[in-house]
Amino acid sequence: MTTSRLGKYLSGLGLLGLVIFLCVIPFHSTDYIVSVLLDILTWIGLTESWIILSGFTGYISLGHSAFFGIGAYVMAISWLKLPYPLIILISAASSMALAFAIGFPVLRVRGPYFVILTLGLSEFAKYIFINYEVNVKGTVGRIMLGVPNIRTLYFSLLIIAIVTILCAYLIKRSRFGYGLFSIREDEDAAESLGIDTSIYKWLAFGISAFFPGAIGATMALRRTYIDPYSVFDPIVSFQIIVMAFFGGMGRLHGPVLGACILTLISEFLWARYPHYYLIILGVILVFIVKFMPSGILGIFELFGKAGKIVKFVRRK
Amino acid sequence: MALLECQEVTKNFGGLMAVMNVSLQLEKGEIVGLIGANGAGKTTLFNLISGFYPPTNGSIRFEGDEIAGLKTHDICRKGLVRTFQIVRPFHNMTVWDNVMVGALFGVQKCKNVSRAKEEAMKVLEFTGLHEKKEIPAKGLTIADRKRLEVARSLATKPKLLLLDEVLAGLTSTETTEAMKLVRRIRDEMGLTIFMVEHVMKAVMGLSDRIVVLHNGEKIAEGNAEEVSKNPAVIEAYLGEKLHM
Repeated sequence: MTTSRLGKYLSGLGLLGLVIFLCVIPFHSTDYIVSVLLDILTWIGLTESWIILSGFTGYISLGHSAFFGIGAYVMAISWLKLPYPLIILISAASSMALAFAIGFPVLRVRGPYFVILTLGLSEFAKYIFINYEVNVKGTVGRIMLGVPNIRTLYFSLLIIAIVTILCAYLIKRSRFGYGLFSIREDEDAAESLGIDTSIYKWLAFGISAFFPGAIGATMALRRTYIDPYSVFDPIVSFQIIVMAFFGGMGRLHGPVLGACILTLISEFLWARYPHYYLIILGVILVFIVKFMPSGILGIFELFGKAGKIVKFVRRK
Repeated sequence: MALLECQEVTKNFGGLMAVMNVSLQLEKGEIVGLIGANGAGKTTLFNLISGFYPPTNGSIRFEGDEIAGLKTHDICRKGLVRTFQIVRPFHNMTVWDNVMVGALFGVQKCKNVSRAKEEAMKVLEFTGLHEKKEIPAKGLTIADRKRLEVARSLATKPKLLLLDEVLAGLTSTETTEAMKLVRRIRDEMGLTIFMVEHVMKAVMGLSDRIVVLHNGEKIAEGNAEEVSKNPAVIEAYLGEKLHM
């Protein structure tokens, strides 16, 4: 009991140290380092918010690219008209509102059909925006001028990522969280134990959509030019899944680990083998699903178990 | 007032009459058995009562309130909970967490997790699962999974428990243990129990009253002796001779 409490205390301290480190480092490093860290934070936020729906309830969603795109577009439309943090909040709220609006019918569908439906919906959203840009506005994309510098954006994303993780953590430990896990394990059994599964899934879908909205808005400023093809890119959804599976979905730090490692790998690959990047990503995904279903964390846990067995044998 | 009252409940799936004009009453504190051959409509009747689908016709009253057409989770919160014929534990959650979900969401709705853990512990002790509380549900034997299914339902603090073949597939020692548990649930917790069962020894031994379904219709009702001597039952279900 005391060792586990000590462990908690230490990991809490470690986390605090990490946050302080992430707050200080942008002032002591080059723009390149900051931009890599910014990418990592982006993917941590996206993956961790995806976990709130897909990790907790088991409804694997490919809709995150749509929420990301909505956020980016709200930012592009309102940029310079409103204060910057306010636009981020509005973007996030818009994504969430969209999720709430389409949630009930979408979440009636289960399994692979849900996956395909969310993919279809995010493509649908993309074409709505393409149509709007071309036929109504007569443009292809939007340019934003006078955007905040990279360190401001970095801190925005740091805050968003921390809030996302905190939110996922609080949900995970709550009554609401246990309701969501029950849905993942067996939806009918959950319903028969008094869980209002439709409302629970709907809430998780909405909360999960809030954060990609905020991240999309911030990333629109980072890119300064957006068009529907680039912000409604389904690769965003796929990459989130790869990261979540790679890290391991059982624990909250799994996705964080997955996002860090894969962002660094992709940074390396983009720089050296840009043409092979997606192929390698695909191979990694196949490898993970086939050989390490619990992700990197699963391997660590395996080592942990092996260690315990060794100890046990030695004691004998 | 009866605890549960079904009046002329009917369910058809397309042209198939799964349950036809079934009326029955359950009084508080009773153990009532529901028997019938495969396809007689027993599980369908359970699904209707627990709200998995609405009846085509008829009324189902629980403590005087109409519950036909309500959602399953609403019915559970009124105090009517069911177990599944093919057990459906939350495989990747520990035994303790499984039972805790019942305490978090059922009738009593514990607002916080630690309170629910305490409530769940009481149920685990009652059902004899407390020593296995940290094991993930997928690591349990069939007998323990069935026990867990019952424990999880009990944690919701129901008034009426629908047991769908909790004894099927158990060895004879396990059956005796499970029968003891069922009786204790009634005697010590004061629950009313409505059970589908194929194990005749158990239904005959446990039930105050037995309802017999055949092809969706109720063909007999009464105590074990009356039912087993009823010619319609013998013809439809038990065959020529009763094996007890």
